[in-house]
Parts: sequence; structure tokens; C-alpha cells
Amino acid sequence: MSVLETQSVSIRFGGVFANTDVSIKVGEWEIVGVIGPNGAGKTTAFNIVTGFYKPDRGRVLYKGRDITNLAVHERTALGMGRTFQNVGLVKGSTVRENLVSAQYLEADYSTLAGMLGSPRTFVSEAELRKRGDAVAEVMGLGEFLDRQVAGLPYGVLKRVEIATVLATDPDVLLLDEPSSGMGPEEAHDLGDTLLELRREFGLSIAMIEHHVPLVVRVCDYVYCLNFGQLLAEGLPEEVRNHPQVVTAYLGEDAEDPALQKVEEKLETLLDTD
Amino acid sequence: MAVETASRGPAAETGETVEGGEPSFRPSPIGWLARGIVWAAIAWLVLIFPLGREAFELQRYSEAVIFGIIGLSLNVLLGYVGQISLGHQAFVGIGAFTSAYIVTEQNLSFWVGVAAAVAVGGLQALVLGGVSLRITGLYFAMVTLAYGLVAEKNIFQIQELTGGGLGQPAPKPKGFESDFRYYYLCLVFLAIVLWVDWRMMRTKSGRALLALRENPRVASTFGVNVRLLTLFAFVVSGAFAGLGGALLAHNDTRVSPETWSFNLALIFVIMTVVGGLRSRAGVVIGSAFFALIGYLLDKFTILQDGLNAIPGAPDLSPEIARLVIGPVLLLLTLTLTPGGIGQQIRPIVRWLTGHRFDLKDRGLKEVQISDVRA
Repeated sequence: MSVLETQSVSIRFGGVFANTDVSIKVGEWEIVGVIGPNGAGKTTAFNIVTGFYKPDRGRVLYKGRDITNLAVHERTALGMGRTFQNVGLVKGSTVRENLVSAQYLEADYSTLAGMLGSPRTFVSEAELRKRGDAVAEVMGLGEFLDRQVAGLPYGVLKRVEIATVLATDPDVLLLDEPSSGMGPEEAHDLGDTLLELRREFGLSIAMIEHHVPLVVRVCDYVYCLNFGQLLAEGLPEEVRNHPQVVTAYLGEDAEDPALQKVEEKLETLLDTD
Repeated sequence: MAVETASRGPAAETGETVEGGEPSFRPSPIGWLARGIVWAAIAWLVLIFPLGREAFELQRYSEAVIFGIIGLSLNVLLGYVGQISLGHQAFVGIGAFTSAYIVTEQNLSFWVGVAAAVAVGGLQALVLGGVSLRITGLYFAMVTLAYGLVAEKNIFQIQELTGGGLGQPAPKPKGFESDFRYYYLCLVFLAIVLWVDWRMMRTKSGRALLALRENPRVASTFGVNVRLLTLFAFVVSGAFAGLGGALLAHNDTRVSPETWSFNLALIFVIMTVVGGLRSRAGVVIGSAFFALIGYLLDKFTILQDGLNAIPGAPDLSPEIARLVIGPVLLLLTLTLTPGGIGQQIRPIVRWLTGHRFDLKDRGLKEVQISDVRA
């Protein structure tokens, strides 16, 4: 059974058909890539899956359960975790504070007990901090724990964000361009991290990603969106060489020598990986 | 599932060694002594200095302490969630009348009155916020403004509750009849509010508030029900305001309706911002200062003397003085140190709590983030 599934989901904003009949499946233990040119509706699809948008038509299923009408925080409670394209963190706080904030649902005391300062809450808080530190360690962020988020390099922020989402204790991760702002080397390391997360925590992952080598290396299955519609799906290699996908990325005239060069560049990038 | 495995994983062993990024600092014995002296001076100013003062002066000091509670009440809303209330005088005023009514008309004890004022304050916020917190920012501010004006023209005109033009008597509680005992009682209540506020911000709800002020979308992915928690903060703010109102009522031993005008709501907002949003010490100091403006003007007559030199200049009433000094300080605060008094005294507070003295440490990054969400 798939962990996450959208069934012919459609949404339009005014005259823009942002998603039309988009059906995506994420199986257990699967890493699914969502690719497509800018403005193809990838983030919109993620916003529908995580509950920020309600689709005009179609359903969203989580472990077989219809969650189309659940709010964002209810989906988090079910085990859905997501990152944002432009880094979703509390910028005024330190990395450690972010990691503890993310464990909002993990804290085992009531709001009132917290406010009155019952002794139990002190114990729980120490545990939350320790767990946060452990998650940071998994993401290789130990040295940044006491640093304020505002002021950290973008590539680090992306990893901090994944760490905070891990701290919410998810079963499925939705990552919106996790490698943006990273160099090829960092992106390669990120791939290792993602594979390790899946192995250690049994996570299923869906990710929007532009970095082709990363997609080809870690993804089991790839969907390509264009103009809000599914253009192609299949194994990474298949989708990458799919004629329509090539056209969508490189334009109609794929015979253009300049574009050929771009394609060759892509090839070499892949080979060095 | 994921995190449990994480704490058992290889990271758990190394987790403890990664304590603190910056090298830890311990003050020398002399350093501790210096800190102890400053702490003692503060304790003297707050606890001993008011002793033996005249009743009138003590009432002003109590008022300063109570304003601290009211400032902390607004700080919850304005500082932690970034929503503004321009009708806070209604929350405080209704708290005052509730307690006075229960003590005078129902012949119940002061403690019942205070508890009722807290409950009514929270309940008002629950009802008003439950309806209106679908909107935020400027529009929510307008709703609270309207509520304050409605309270002024309607709730405060109910004879049975407010005792009409003469106001409602609110005697001091048994055992605290003397003004200096009542002053200490107010200090105890301020300490309780400070404790609750501190613990709230150190536990999950407070962190969630800070997250949702900065980015509600991120907060919701942390599993926070943003609307419910915003409402919760409003209720906490209303309850604190009700407490402040009840204490004010019994401090003056009489509450009259005309006290609770829109002017007061403005002063509440200004004193909180000037004090420094999200800084407990700053808010209490700022609020106390605004409570004491009238008293200070009487004590130090320079300003009035200066005005008298100008022919035809009006007398400086405390009300007017607040409304003149307030906006000036607000302007200076927002342009020079957006973190208010809290930002100014941060190096001292850090030093007093056993850190290194660092004049440059003003926690700027935090206050740079915009405060009221539209």
C-alpha cells in the first residue's frame, strides 16, 4: 500500500490551472522525485498534499485514509513532514531552539503544566533538548546547535530544516528543493544522507529537485510535471530520456546546437557523479 | 518512530559532548561579589525603599507594580504572537469592576474577586478572540478598538456593576489593609505572573507562539494549530489584564467608569513597546515608568516650572504628560532601539545572570524581525 497518494488532484487560481489531474504515489520506503520546469506546479502539488491548499477536485490519501480535508497540523500529527523552498525555520532562534520547537507534539506535558512549571516539565524539556541534539548529530549539525538561524549559510539551513522536520517524528518526508544553495559536493552528501535516513528510520520521501544527478542517484521513481500536468513518470533514467521531458526542459528545438551543448554538459555532470 | 531510533543511534553517545558552541564562562569570586551587590541594590530598591513612605506614595508604587502586570499581559499578545490590542483598557477595567462588584455587592472575599477577575478577563478574550481571530494584524486591532469603545459606552454604564458616577468601592483585603502590605501583595502577584510567563516561554506553547509569530506556515508544519494557539495567547493576555484590573481597583479602593478610556489603552501599548517586546525585565520597567510619570512630575517640578515660564502654557496633568512623553519615547524606541528598554539593559541583565559583560550584545537579530503581522 502506498504511504501517500494523490488521486487526480486539480486546483486552479483564477485562470491558472496550477494542477490538473495530478496523480502521484509514494510507496513505503520509496524515494520519489518530482521534477519539472519552473512554474510547473510542483510546489502547488506539495501544498495540496500537506494541506496548505484544498484541491478543487481529487483526493489525497495517507496510508489509505482520505485526508483531503485535514488541516496542516493534523497531517503533521499523522506523520507527515515537509520542508519549504525558501527555508522554513524560526530565524530569530538558535538551531537547538528550532529543533525543540519542532517537537511540539512530542512534548508529553500539558500546556497548563508547562505554564505553572510543574517539575515534570523540566525533565521533559531536558529530554526534548537531548533528542533535538541527537537529530542534529544525525544531520551533522552538532557544531551549529547554539548558532542563531539568521546568519547561517543557505546550504546549512537546508540541512537544519531537514533536521527540524525529522524532529517532528515523521513517517514520510516531503522535501522542496533540498539541494538548492548547495554545491555539487554538498548535494552528493545530501544524497547519502537521504539514503541513510531511509535505511535507519524507514522513511518514505518525496522530493522536488532540480539537481539531476541527485535525482537519478537516490530516486526510485520520478514524476515530471509541466504546466500543472503530469508529463511523464517512471524510473529516473526513463523519465530523463523521455522525449517530451527533454522538450519541456530544453525547448521545442532540441536539435539546436547550443542546446545540444547543454545536454552534453548534463551528461558530463552525470558521469562525474 | 524516527526520533526514538535517533536517540538510540550512534549520535546519542556523542550528543552529550556537543555542549554549547561558545566557550563556557564563569565569573571570578570578585565578579560574583559585584553581581551580588547589584542584586542587593535592586532588592533594596524594590523591597526596602518603599517602607515608611506615605500612603499616597505607596499607592503609586503599587500602581507601578500593577502596570508591570498589565504590560506583561500586552507583551503576551503583542510580543509573542504579534497581534495588537487597542482595547486592553476594557479588559483591565472589567477586571477591576468584577472584583469590586464581588467584594462590595456580593460580600465575598478579595481572593474570590481576584479569581473572578482573572476568569472574566480570560473569558472575554475567549469570546472576542473566538469570533474575531479569523482576522489578524490591523483588522484585529480595529476589532479590539471597537470592543474597548463599546465597553466604555455600555458595560461601564451598567449601574449595578460600576456603582454609577460615584464608582464602586473596592476595599483592601483583610490582612493587607495597610498600603505597604498591599504593595508587597502586588509584588507577589507580579512574581507569579513573571513565573507563569517565563515557564510558558520555556515550554512548548511559548515556543510555538514565537514560531507562529515569525512564520505561521512553519509553525503549522510543527503540528501547531495556529488559530487555536493565537486564541490561547489572547486568553492568557486577557487573564493577566483581569488580574491587573482587580489589583488596581483595590489599590485605589474605588473604581470609577471614566478611568477606562481609550487614552489608557494607548498608554498600555506604548509602555509595552517602549519597555521592549519579549523582554520581561524591560516591559516591567517600562510599564512602571509610565505608571509613575505623574508622580515623578510632582516630585521633580522642572518640567512644570519650565512650562510656567511660558506665558499661557497649560498645567501639565499626568494624563497629558503621558500622552506627550509616550509617543516621543515610542518614536525614539522604534527608530533607535526597536528592542526598547529590554534591548538597552540586555548587557546588564546578561552580566547579572553570570555571563560576560558585553556592551555589543543587544540581541539585535531577534528584534529586527517585524513585530505586528498584517
